Amino acid sequence: MLGAGLAAPRSLRAQEAFPSRTIEVVTHAGVGGGTDITARMMMVQAPGVFKQEFLVVNRTAGSGAQALQYLASKPADGHAIILVTQTHLLTQLRNPSLPQFADLIPVARATADPQLVLVRRDSPFRTPQDLVEAGKQRSLRFGGTHVGGVDHVTIFAFGRAAGIQRPTLVPFRGGGEIVINLVGGNIDTAVVNPGEAEAQLRAGELRPLISLAEGRLDAFRDVPTAKELGIDVTGYTLRGFCVLKGTPEDRVAKLEAGLIEAMSGPIYKSYLQNTGQAPDSVAGRQVWGAQLEQFHKDGREALQALGLLRG
Amino acid sequence: MEAFLGGLAILLDPYVMLMVLLGTVLGIFVGALPGISGSTTIALLLPMTIAMGPIPAICFLGAIYCAANFGGSITAIMVNAPGDPSASATALEGYKMAEKGQAGLALGMSAVSSAIGGIFSVVVLIFAAPMLARAAYSFGPPEYFALALFGLSMCAAIGGDSAIKNLIAAAFGLLLATVGMDLTTGVERFTFGSYELSDGIGFVPVLIGLFAVGEMLDQAARRVGKAKIIHLDAARVPGWAEFKKCNRSIWIGSGIGTFIGALPALGATTAALIGYNETRRWSKHKHEFGKGSIEGVAGPEAANNAAVGGSMVPTLALGIPGSATTAIILAALIVQGVRPGPHLFNEQPTLLYAVFASMLAANMFYLFMGLYMAKLFARISLIPPAILWPAVFVLSIIGAYGPNQSMGDVVIMLVAGVVGFLFRRTGFSPAPLIMGLVLGGMVEETLKQSLIIFGDDVTGFLGRPIALALFAVTATGLLWPVVSRLLRVARAARA
Repeated sequence: MLGAGLAAPRSLRAQEAFPSRTIEVVTHAGVGGGTDITARMMMVQAPGVFKQEFLVVNRTAGSGAQALQYLASKPADGHAIILVTQTHLLTQLRNPSLPQFADLIPVARATADPQLVLVRRDSPFRTPQDLVEAGKQRSLRFGGTHVGGVDHVTIFAFGRAAGIQRPTLVPFRGGGEIVINLVGGNIDTAVVNPGEAEAQLRAGELRPLISLAEGRLDAFRDVPTAKELGIDVTGYTLRGFCVLKGTPEDRVAKLEAGLIEAMSGPIYKSYLQNTGQAPDSVAGRQVWGAQLEQFHKDGREALQALGLLRG
Repeated sequence: MEAFLGGLAILLDPYVMLMVLLGTVLGIFVGALPGISGSTTIALLLPMTIAMGPIPAICFLGAIYCAANFGGSITAIMVNAPGDPSASATALEGYKMAEKGQAGLALGMSAVSSAIGGIFSVVVLIFAAPMLARAAYSFGPPEYFALALFGLSMCAAIGGDSAIKNLIAAAFGLLLATVGMDLTTGVERFTFGSYELSDGIGFVPVLIGLFAVGEMLDQAARRVGKAKIIHLDAARVPGWAEFKKCNRSIWIGSGIGTFIGALPALGATTAALIGYNETRRWSKHKHEFGKGSIEGVAGPEAANNAAVGGSMVPTLALGIPGSATTAIILAALIVQGVRPGPHLFNEQPTLLYAVFASMLAANMFYLFMGLYMAKLFARISLIPPAILWPAVFVLSIIGAYGPNQSMGDVVIMLVAGVVGFLFRRTGFSPAPLIMGLVLGGMVEETLKQSLIIFGDDVTGFLGRPIALALFAVTATGLLWPVVSRLLRVARAARA
């Protein structure tokens, strides 16, 4: 009797049309931040696909902590999705009280922006080998975002894979500052998205030495990947959608298909193209989940080695 | 030149003109409301402008950006609640003027100096952007450290009459600036485990609390026996005599604003604060400062609007945005197919000059609207305090909550309000506190970055001529009063 009573509403719920109300998109970026703009570009066509309104919820505090808490406060029914970046994974690692990576289900990837190792035009490093050789003699000064941030993890992983001395991170507030200081000669090298340094790359003020993408990039045919050089590391700026664990499988599948459809439209496509992001950014949960998994592992190792993880 | 005339010709299109006008009106409106800034508005409208086509879209967004910076001064002057952080320096003198019954003068002067600053910076942008942009590369952490130190060196002089109290307030501001995740160690400081504090203490809630809520508490604590005497000249707009008086301040502000705006790491708020300092330093009527000086409105307003044009320099010529607003403008331009960079000036001159032309037009529009509406807005000071201040309080809460949708910011705002009230009662000024909060983080961060770059060797600064020159200017500014007094004593002894 009791069992039947509990089962009935659940089966009713499964048949309920999804989505049945406004879908909230939670982001840790403030209005107008890069990730916020990604969400809004996706949302131009999503309402047409899902036949429901979409609403961005900006919860900016704590590098993703508040956004994760907000998501956790919502029922796991697919009506709240979070736009996750690598920053969220690092925040989770450092704050065990937050919903962890295992508490999220990856749904679809929105952007995958490969990174390049850049030097300035008159740098003594002419080839990737020059850079690696120099890195064995002394600790290279890499520009990146804050200590213990996503760039730091990538730079750490790069240094270890290349067998060079642990790089010195010179932390800056963002990609623009990194590029300026690279051109200005205050740092040896930096790991930067092509879009952030587009003007300087076109003007020849900066030279790409190594690409951290999986395979060669169309725009940088001559630039070898780290993997080709025997340095087993990749570097991407990733953004994509996740939902809370416990969301019914049919809804996750519906969200995955719908979000990919919304991000295959012309507006999102031209957004990717104009901001210099990879055209094959949009991907399903297989690819997206595997990539998050890998960064979760790299991030844990790097933070532990850097002494930034408690316990 | 031909391309520029082409750009102006774009404005003859009635549709484009309408967009600029619409952007200006919208910009003034959102700029005046604390909590909704020009950048938020542009971000929210960004997806909508995609359908407009590049030139109208760029003109529309450019106009919002220009006008929002001016709009911030309206609430700063009328109710001591800066609608935009960059208007905080304006509130220092502007609100005092409104209290004296000179709201119209302050608003009018704000419109005029804003427009002159804005137009000046666009003209500089047209002729010198590629050159100025190169200067940005020469500014690394050591140079920013020297510049921030220069800004901080003035703390004792601005605000109240007591240098000691100003220094105490500045030190308090510096202390607040240390809260949050430290860039160079990745460690959270003074957050007490609260996520709300991990990004530091927000500038907007402190500002709103300190100015608007502090003022409200102060008003509420006073017994108002009779209705305030209404000054007949509340709606008077500035005339030739006032312009002549402020002429120097406006040019100082315009120059400083354009230069500081062009540096990617500094924005309109810093420009306005340093503009305020320098206006005071070079003014012939120093005694008026802190009591409602019209020059103290003209200088920072010219500076923060000049910073708008200035900040477009690295955005357009380097593809590197200097502020949250320019980051969104950059995104908007890129989505429209503009490719910023050194080549923009040769490759896409039409789009570029459309940006310039729309900024010029927006500055003109708000000049006329501002002068016309000054009389209207000035009448806000005739509203009885019992009605006006509760309304301001509601706006303050929305303003603190809005940008990050965070109740934590509302709490910070309320605490800052109590601090602001206590400051008023004990003769402290909020100005040095704000200087400390704005520049404190930068002084610390850039010093640490410099030391990392120099490999922990302080003598590295000796190899940086620009930083050394700025240090020298700072030292001169600090020592000059002492030296000149000694010289005077020596001369008197000889005579």
